[in-house]
Order: sequence, then C-alpha cells, then structure tokens
Amino acid sequence: MMNSTIIAQMVISGSLMGLVYALIAYGFQLTYATSKSINFGQGELVMLSAFFSLSLLNFGVPYWLMIPGGLLFGVLLGLVVERACVRLSLEQKGEGWILLTIIFGLFGFSAAENIWGRDDRPFPTPLPADSLQVFGINISPLEISVVVGVLGVMSLIELFKRKTLLGKAFEAVAADRDAAELMGISATHTIMLSFGLSGMVAAMAGILISPITTVGPTMASSLILKAFSVAVVAGLDSGFGVVVVGIFLGALESLTSFYLGSGWREAPGLILLILALAIRPNGVFGKITIRKV
Amino acid sequence: MIKKALITTLLLTVISVPVFAADTIKIAITGPYSGGSAPMGTSMRDGAKLAIAEINAAGGIPVGAKKLKIEVIERDDEGKNERGALVAQELASMSDLSGVIGTVNTGIALSGDKHLQEKGITKIITPAAGSASMTQWSKAGVKDLSIFRFAAHDGIQSAMVVEEAINEKFTKVAIIHDATNYGVSGRDDLLEQIKKQGNKLQVVATEKFNIGDKDMTAQLLSAKSAGAQAVLIWGIGPELAAVSNGMAKLEMKIPLIGGWTLSMSNYIDNAGKNSNGTLTPQTFIEEPITPRVKGFIDGYHKTYNVTRIPSPVSAAQGYDAVLIFAAAVTQAQSGDTRKIKEALEDLKAPVKGVISTWKHPFSKWDPSNEETHEAFRRDDTVMGMVKDGQVVFANDADRILITKKISK
Amino acid sequence: MLKRLLFIRGAELATLILLATLPLTVSNSYVLGLLTLLTIYGILLIGLDVTVGYLGQVNLAHAAFLGLGAYAAGLSVTLFGFGMLSALTVSLFIGFLLGGLLAFPALRLEGPQFALATLSFSALSTTVLNEWESLTNGAQGLSIIRPTLLGYYFNAQGFYWLCLILLMLVWLAMRNLLSSQWGRTFEALRDSPIATDAMGVGTFRHKVAGFAFGSSLGGLAGGLYAFNFQYLQPQSFTYDLMVILLLGVVLGGRKSLWGAFFGASLIVLLPNLLSSKLLFEIISLAGLLLALVAGVHRMMKKSALPFQAIAPIIAMSILVVGGYVVENTENWRKAIFALMLFSVVVGLPDGIMGFAARYLTRLFNIAPPALPASNALSDVLPLQIVDNQPLLVITHLKRYFGGVKAVDDISISIRSGHIHGLIGPNGSGKSTAVNVISGLYAPTSGELVLQGKPLPEGSLFKVARSGVSRTFQNLQLFGELSALDNVMLALKGVYLSPLPMVLLGLAKPQEKRAQADALALLELVGLKDQARVHAKDLTYGSQRLLEIARALASKPKLLILDEPAAGLAHPDVNILIEIIKRVHQFGITIILIEHHMDVVSTLCDVVTVLDGGQVIAEGTTEDVKRDPKVIKAYLGIAEETNDPNLIPSEP
Repeated sequence: MMNSTIIAQMVISGSLMGLVYALIAYGFQLTYATSKSINFGQGELVMLSAFFSLSLLNFGVPYWLMIPGGLLFGVLLGLVVERACVRLSLEQKGEGWILLTIIFGLFGFSAAENIWGRDDRPFPTPLPADSLQVFGINISPLEISVVVGVLGVMSLIELFKRKTLLGKAFEAVAADRDAAELMGISATHTIMLSFGLSGMVAAMAGILISPITTVGPTMASSLILKAFSVAVVAGLDSGFGVVVVGIFLGALESLTSFYLGSGWREAPGLILLILALAIRPNGVFGKITIRKV
Repeated sequence: MIKKALITTLLLTVISVPVFAADTIKIAITGPYSGGSAPMGTSMRDGAKLAIAEINAAGGIPVGAKKLKIEVIERDDEGKNERGALVAQELASMSDLSGVIGTVNTGIALSGDKHLQEKGITKIITPAAGSASMTQWSKAGVKDLSIFRFAAHDGIQSAMVVEEAINEKFTKVAIIHDATNYGVSGRDDLLEQIKKQGNKLQVVATEKFNIGDKDMTAQLLSAKSAGAQAVLIWGIGPELAAVSNGMAKLEMKIPLIGGWTLSMSNYIDNAGKNSNGTLTPQTFIEEPITPRVKGFIDGYHKTYNVTRIPSPVSAAQGYDAVLIFAAAVTQAQSGDTRKIKEALEDLKAPVKGVISTWKHPFSKWDPSNEETHEAFRRDDTVMGMVKDGQVVFANDADRILITKKISK
Repeated sequence: MLKRLLFIRGAELATLILLATLPLTVSNSYVLGLLTLLTIYGILLIGLDVTVGYLGQVNLAHAAFLGLGAYAAGLSVTLFGFGMLSALTVSLFIGFLLGGLLAFPALRLEGPQFALATLSFSALSTTVLNEWESLTNGAQGLSIIRPTLLGYYFNAQGFYWLCLILLMLVWLAMRNLLSSQWGRTFEALRDSPIATDAMGVGTFRHKVAGFAFGSSLGGLAGGLYAFNFQYLQPQSFTYDLMVILLLGVVLGGRKSLWGAFFGASLIVLLPNLLSSKLLFEIISLAGLLLALVAGVHRMMKKSALPFQAIAPIIAMSILVVGGYVVENTENWRKAIFALMLFSVVVGLPDGIMGFAARYLTRLFNIAPPALPASNALSDVLPLQIVDNQPLLVITHLKRYFGGVKAVDDISISIRSGHIHGLIGPNGSGKSTAVNVISGLYAPTSGELVLQGKPLPEGSLFKVARSGVSRTFQNLQLFGELSALDNVMLALKGVYLSPLPMVLLGLAKPQEKRAQADALALLELVGLKDQARVHAKDLTYGSQRLLEIARALASKPKLLILDEPAAGLAHPDVNILIEIIKRVHQFGITIILIEHHMDVVSTLCDVVTVLDGGQVIAEGTTEDVKRDPKVIKAYLGIAEETNDPNLIPSEP
C-alpha cells in the first residue's frame, strides 16, 4: 500500500517537472514550425526573463503586472534572437543559426552573471506554501500552478494557430516559404512572430518554475537538454505530443532515481533519446517527410 | 600585470624577466570567483583582502627595520581543474612570490598544488575542506611540504555531524550528498565516522543528486519511506535549499545536519523558513561576540556593501590566514617563501585572529600525521544553527567558550 | 609551384621549429604548460574539425571523447601497467571504437537532431564516469602516474616534445587524408548526400568513418591530457568545455588544419589575453578595425548581405566600448568570447585562418598546383557491349505516396545501346519512375531487372554500384567543390590504395591519375578550362553539363538524364545534343526525360509516353507525336491529326 503511494508520488512530481520541459520544448516547436530552426540559447532566454521579472518585483511592481511585463521581455528577446542570429542563416539557407544561437546563449549567460550576480535567488510567489494532500500524495499549490500555466499557454497558442488567419500564415510559411510569399504572406514577419511567441513561452516557463527552482544564471542549463530531448523525441512538429513525452520523461527520471539510485536518473532518458532518434528520426509523433529530388 | 600579458602573447617571443620588487610582499589569492563555488571564493578573497588592507594601512608587515606592504595577485581558477593547474603553474613560475592563499575545490588542490610543492612555494589552503587535499601528500610520503591547510577538514566536520545525530538519540539516518568530489568524499567520511563512533547509526538510505537538480522528491521519498529520523547532507549551494524545500513539501519534519556549506547565503535565502533548525559545524559564526569580531564583521559589511557575509566561514578563514601568514613573514624577517614556510611550521608569537587566538597552529611536516600542517582541531569548530536567515550558535555554551578563546 | 611549396610548407616548418625550440630559450614552466596544452588542444580541434568543418555537422560529443580517452589511457596505466605508447594507442582506439558506435544511430540524423544525439552521448558518458566509482573513482577523481616510454621518463619538457611530435604526425596524416578522395567525399556528402550516394560513393559509411576518425583524435588528445594533468575528474569534460571547443574551431576556421591550430591557441591563451586590460583593448580595437575594413569593402563590392557587413561592426563596437566601461574584463569573459565569435561567424564565415589564407594567397599571388594533362576519353570510358538485348526491364511498376498514385503500373523494356526517351506532361510520373529505378524510392510493387539480374531497390548507393548513373532535374552538384572535384569524386576504379597508404601520403599517384581522367570528362563537356571553378560559381548551363560529366565518371552501363536541357538557351541545347551523341558512341544506354521535342526527336531511338502514372504510347518520336492519346494528354484535344507540330517543341 505504502509502495503504490510512493510510486504515485514519484510519478506525479516527476510529471510536473516534465511539463516544464514540455513547455520549453513547445517554444522550440513554434520556431521550428515556421523556419526549421530552434534557439539553442533558449535556456538563457528563460533565465533572463526570470531575472527581469524578479527585478520588476524588486522595484515594487505588483505581481499581476509583473507577469505581462516579464512576458513582453521574453517576446523582445525572441525578436532579438531572430534578427541577430537566425535571419541571416535562413536567407543563406544554411544552418549557421545553430552556432549563432549558442553564441547568444553564451552572451546572455555572461551578461546575467554580471548584472544580477552569480548566486541563485528566491522568487516570491503569492501562492501559499503548504502542500495539499490528494489521495495521500503531496502536491504544492505551486506545482498546480505549473500545470495550469503550461497547459493554459499551450492551449491558447494552439487555438490561435488553428482559428485565426495569422495562425494559418504560420502553417503556410512552414509548408512552403516561397509559395507563401507569393501569396502575399511575409515570411520574415511570420518568422518574427514565431520567435516572439517562442520567447514569450520561455518567459512564461521562467515565471512558473522560478518559485520552485530559484532564479540563477544556471537555472535553465539542466532543463534545456531535457527540453531538447522532449522536443526531438516527440517530433519537432508534434504540437501536444510534447506534453505526452514530457510527462513520460519526467516520470521516468523520477522512478529511475528512486529505484536505481539518483546518480543514474538521467541515463534511461538519454538512452531512450538516442534510440528514439535512431528508430524514428522525425520523432514519435512527427510526420514522416518524403525526399524529393 | 603588463609583463605577465606580454609573456603570454600569441607569438610567445618575450623572455620573462624576473623582477626584483624588494619593497613588497607578493601574495597570490586564488579561488573560484566564477561558477558554482564563487560565493565561497569571493568571500575568502574579500576577507583576505580586508586583512591585507588593514595591514597596509598600518604601513605594512614589519620586516627588520622597514615595513613592507603586501601586493595582491588575484587569480580566478573558476572551479575548474584545468584552469587551477594552469594558475598553479603560472604562480610557480613567478620568482618573487612569497606565498599563495586560497582554493575552495579539492579537485584543484589535487591537480594544481603539485606545481607549487615542486617549487617549494608556500601555500595556505583555505577554505577547502576535503581530506584528500592533505592526504595526497601523506600518501606520497613527501618529507618536506610547503602546503598548509587552514580550515576544519571534513574529518572533523563529519565527526561532529555523526556525534550530533547520536546525541539526539537517533538510530536511523539517511545520507544525501551531491555528485561532486566534495559530496562523495563527504559521504565516505560520514560512513567512516559512523563506524568509528560505534556503529550506533543505521544508514537506511544513501542518495545522490547532481549539481543543478531542483527536484529532490525521489531521494527524499526514499529516505522517508525507509524511516529516516534525520538527514545527513553533504553538498554545495542551491541544491541544499531544494532538499529543505522538498522536505517541507513532503512534510518531513526531521532535522537536516550537514557540512559547513549549509551556512552559505544561497542555501539560507532559497530555503527561506524551511532552513530553520538546520545544523552545521562552523569555525566562525557571524555574531559580534567580541569587539575584534565585531570590527571584522562591520568592516566587511561596510567595505563590500552587504548586510550579511555570503560565506562567513570563508571570509573569516581568509582573514585569519593572512594574519598568520604576515606573522610568519615577520618571524622569518624575509619575503622568501622557503623561510616563511619554516616560520609557519614554528610560529612563536600568538596571532590574534577573529576565529581564535592562534598559538603555534602548525608544526614540522610529518608524513604519517597530516595534523602537523592542519591548523584546526575539533575544539576550534562549533555547531551552528540556521535561524531566521542567519547562522547562530546552536548551543549557548559554545558561544561562551569561543568568546573566552578569542579573548585570551 | 615553388612559391606555393615554399609558402605553405615553409610556414609549417617554421612554426614547428619555433614551437620545438621555444622551451629551450624561455625557461618558464608556465609557458611550457601553456604550450603543452596548446598541442593537446590542437590535436583535439583537428579531430573536431572533421565533423564540424568537413562533414558540416554540429558535433557536441567531442569533449566526451576527450574524457573517455583520458580515462582509458589513465586506467590502462593504473590497472594494467601499460607504457606510454600502449596507453596512447588505447586512448586512440577507444575514441575510434566509441565514435564509430555512436555514429551508427547518430548519423542517420541531420542538423539539430544530430546535435542532440551527440549531446546526449556526452551527458551519458559523464554519468557513467561519475557513477562507475569502482572503476573510475567517480567524482573524487583519478590520480595517474605518467608512464614511461621504453624506460625513459618524461619530464615536463620531454612530455611537451612528445605532444609536439604527435601533433606533427596527426597534422601530416590528416593533411594526406583530407586532400585525398576521403576529404572530397566528406565535403561532397555535406553538400548533397543524395548525389554522393547516386554516384556510388557510400554516404553513410564515409560519415561513420569520418566521425570515428575525428573521435579517435579526440581520444588521443584525451590520453595526452591525462598524462599532462595526472588527475582526472568527470566534470572536466562537460558541455561548457564543448561549447568552447566548437567555437574555437569556428573562430579559427573550418576545414583547415591551421584554423584548428589557431583556434586551439585562442582557447588556451584567451584567459591570459583578457587578464590584461591594455592587451584586451588593443585586440578589441584591432578587431573593430578589421570589421570596419572588411565590412565597408564587402558593402562596396556587394559580395555580402548588408547584415554580414554591419553586424560584426556593431558587435566589435560593443566590445570596445564595453572594455572601457566595464571594470573587470575577466568577469565578462564569456560575453567577450561570444561577441568575437559572433563577428567571425557572421562576417568571416571561413574563420580567421580561412580569411587570412585567402588574403595571403592573393597578396603573394600564389597559384594553385598545376594540373596534369588530360587522358584520352577512350581510356576513361569503357566501351559497353551493345547486343540488342533488353538492358533494363521494368514490369508492372507501381509507386504510391499515400493516396497519390504517382506511378500506376508501367512496363517498359529498354534495349542496350538505345537512347530511350521518357516523355509526358507534368505530373505524369516520369521523375518518380526514374527515382524508383535509380533507387531513391523503393517500388510499391513491380519488378526491375538489369541485365537479367534483379536491380537493388530503395538504395541509391546499391543501384549506382550496379552500373546505373544519373543526373537530376534540380541540380545536385557539390557546390563548394570545384568542377574537377565533382567529377573526381564519382570516378570508379581509381581509388584503390588502402587507408594506411593514404595516411602516409603514398597515394599521390592515383590522385594524379584521377585528375587526368576527370579532365578528360570535363573536356568532353567543354569545361576543361573551368576545372578549378567552384561548382556553385559556374553558369547554369555549365552546371547542367557538369552533372553529366560527373555521372559519366562512374562508368555506367545505364545513364539516366532527368531533363538535362531544362532552362538551357538554344545554342547550349545543341551542345548538349552533341555531347549525348558522343556518349552514345561508347555504347552507354541512356534514358532521357525531356520536354524539348527537338532534343527527343533528334536523339531518341524509342520514346515511351506517360500520363497519370501509366504508359499511354510507345514507339518512334514520329509515331508518338501523332498518337491521339498523346495529343490529348498534352493539349486536351481528342482528334487524330496529321499535323506533326501540334505538340510544341518547347514547353
């Protein structure tokens, strides 16, 4: 009896972390959808937005105002990444964006260290700290907010993509950039939009997890590899697939840590990743592309 | 500084010119000023520089008829072994260096100190506490050692942690540690101490976490379900806070006892009220128990514009290390690193520091007994407790004892 | 010729002598330590350059190979008492083995997926090294004694010379490797893996080999690293280090041994360069100057997009201003590195060394090495036997894509020695059919038989090896390679020297032979004078002809030409016709897809007409032009007609 509660607790806690991976992975998908590129410095984007939001709070900005402020900052950073690191490579139809976004991450990390200091700082939250007991499992209100936040943001954006005209433009540019331009859709603007949204999603992730993980220059470095894994295993165009894979990976890590010892917790995830890529390179939920010559 | 840069230009065509700066005592202060261990490194450095500033303000170290000022050479080893080795090589190649103070990471002591020892450069390790930093020399059987340590090594700390658990009548404990050198050797030290102290504690769970991990649920559940009555922890930094917060979430109301790093601000701040009651051995508590200690604390706050020292132990040890080094210079009547080492091994005059009044802290190196080059003993270390954002004396009796010691 | 030799080899020799003798003149152990690290990183980055520069992939596992090699070497000494050479061989071998193993799953991927797979391998390695405490002592680290070589103990200086000698050997071996067919293949498969396979050069096996080579060098560097520091910890080999290595290769210059060396120097010396404020300001100002000069120059010549010229200027300006404003440049080290890298990646894509090399060769007017005389075409292309038997028989071939029936039951028999036309309106299935034959797709059903034996299915490589070659409707040239290299890559039966011979530099004669053969083919298509021009810089017409020359290099029995005349101007079409006729004289069977009716009627013996994935007519060009089904397919009219020109000659 005790055992199944423990397993359930492990799975639930792990899944919640997994949802965070999924949210960041979702940000990857947004930019991949329009430009077949992802921001390798996304972790730094999460971190910078979290720090910015913390500064807003320290300057006395009320909590409910801080959220849109932080999100806006995320959008701005996303646009900067697009302009400085991605646009050139896209025009040259190359993959220089991989290196350039890594460089962005490097710069962002160094800047954060110097502006906000190297230490991890607590992030205040208006939510109560005491955890709730649901069927013998401890869940804190913070963790619940993470679920709500992640699913909420993703649903909103998915709705936007499917129901509005702008969303259709997304799909068009993703499918065939030149044809979309011929139809009067500015590919550049659409890609800018996707990076802006991706930045916003990253900022949201930062605001949601900061109360749990604290804010520091290295806060997102360990998250980013996990988020990558989730994005690629699910497939970079799989939409909600990331949620499933994220939850799975989070729970798997938790259980591995418990049964095999915490040192090995990352291992099954990594092995699965390499295998998944070997068997289905386009992702478990991804679409298979046909080569055309 | 410019000379140093020219030597190391890409073309590498400049021959190094030894400089005869007979008017200053050159001391290098090295440690991680960036990376995860930075709070300890910077506190150590800042504490040391505070002492140096005070000495220089009084004119310098008395050597013969003159007073020589101290010139500081700062080097950041970034907590990386490779960098640490290079820094050590660089310092070892300086012909006029009187000594080195610093190092936080045991790995750097292991990869870099050999270059200093080879050239006979005197070094005082502080605050690195891993036993390996000194046992590497006893294992190698060196007859003459220029490396000293000024910190409560993990052997002392683990003994105190285990003692505390036994005193509180616990029988089942969990050991949680991080995946670094520090955490793993800490675990080994704890296990050894449990054996030494009569096997009165049963370790029901041993768990590890990685640097950067935020979710400790798995490890804590393992401890909880095994019935642990206390958690013994060895790690650095923010992950410790994650453990405390995790324990609160899982409603584990058992004490957390662990290594000295629990006094760092990034644990206390990030765990908030979940840190209250955490016990950790400390060589220095940031309480103004005597005028001299108050002077140090206030001086630190003012000079570095903080309301609380990020790592009080590192700062105080850095401070006192400089005072002891200066005393050795005075006794040796010279800036020659070899003469300073000899003086350190037989320091005649007591040194009034903020941790203690130091009477003959070191003696001639004996490879079968590392304590000859270790300054701290068990009674120099007390149990500290985290309370309301500060580290205070866990036992009032200790406060009285330490006050007496410093005043002597 | 002599100038080139003097310049390039002279520079290499001078640097080697300088490096070797420096410790004798400068007796500073710090300098020695830096130099040793420099040689180790040099070997490491040369290895990384194979995947990043030549294969063009972002490889994030290299730091892991450094670590694995280091531990392997160290453990072979502590556990088995190996000597120096054996231990280093172990580290080399471990790098090779594990690199090969990783390559199998990883190299099926491209771009971000590949980067991620390598990153995961790296994380996995660190975990294993950390957790396997009984073997590696985990996080507490492994102390290693430097082994001896035949009784000789290496002090710091001796060890440095050992590293330098190894660097030299690696340099020579890689130079030989990368200037051989291997190097060509690496670059080709980066530019067009499809064409590489289609020319009978296995993409996958070469990718794996390239990755394994690079990793083996990483392992070797690891062994030297272990014996240099004599203390190892798993956390030294993580992502942080990897990023620095990557950026070192890029900054120095990809596809360049000098670039790797320069990048290594930068990595090792950067912390020192930054610790002096004066030096930093000098360097940043120099960088700004360079960015300004290069940027303005490019803008005027319009040889780069405005962003490429302006962004580096902005980045370097930030660097200069930042240097004044900020009080401690050491704290901003990563940001400084980032700004420098940004400028180089955007403004100098070839890296600093690449830029320097081009600039200096132009400055000193160094000509590329001379080419040999071309061989006779008849020595290059074998005469095929023409026996009026069917060469390729296609029976009931179907290829569906989900609901789309691109090819829906076609049966064609292609006679040896014929030029067999394949025509039909757009979307009729011509390209798909040909893609199935050449192996890009496997058939949904149906049979393909080449000279009585079943044709391999679904593998461009295997089909190419069976004697089928092709050109592509959308050009698939190796853009960054010269015209000559494009053809040389595809040459069959010339590269016979085994790998060790190549590494030792003993394969030069076969390179010369290959050049002469390739020149013959270029001469056939009239491109001999442009042999050294990069394929992407040729005119469109020339590019089309180059593809044909390349396709012929694999000495095929069956040559498939997919719309070779597309987009060609009238005079070029005539040249094309002449070339195809000449090729035909060698007895090579040709399948010709074309819309140009002139070309079809002049050349083709037989024509098969497709529409909607099915054969609607077959016969001579004249017969087929009059066939009402054909006319309907092209124009939508149902009557028979005697007008031979109803179907336009040009689309």
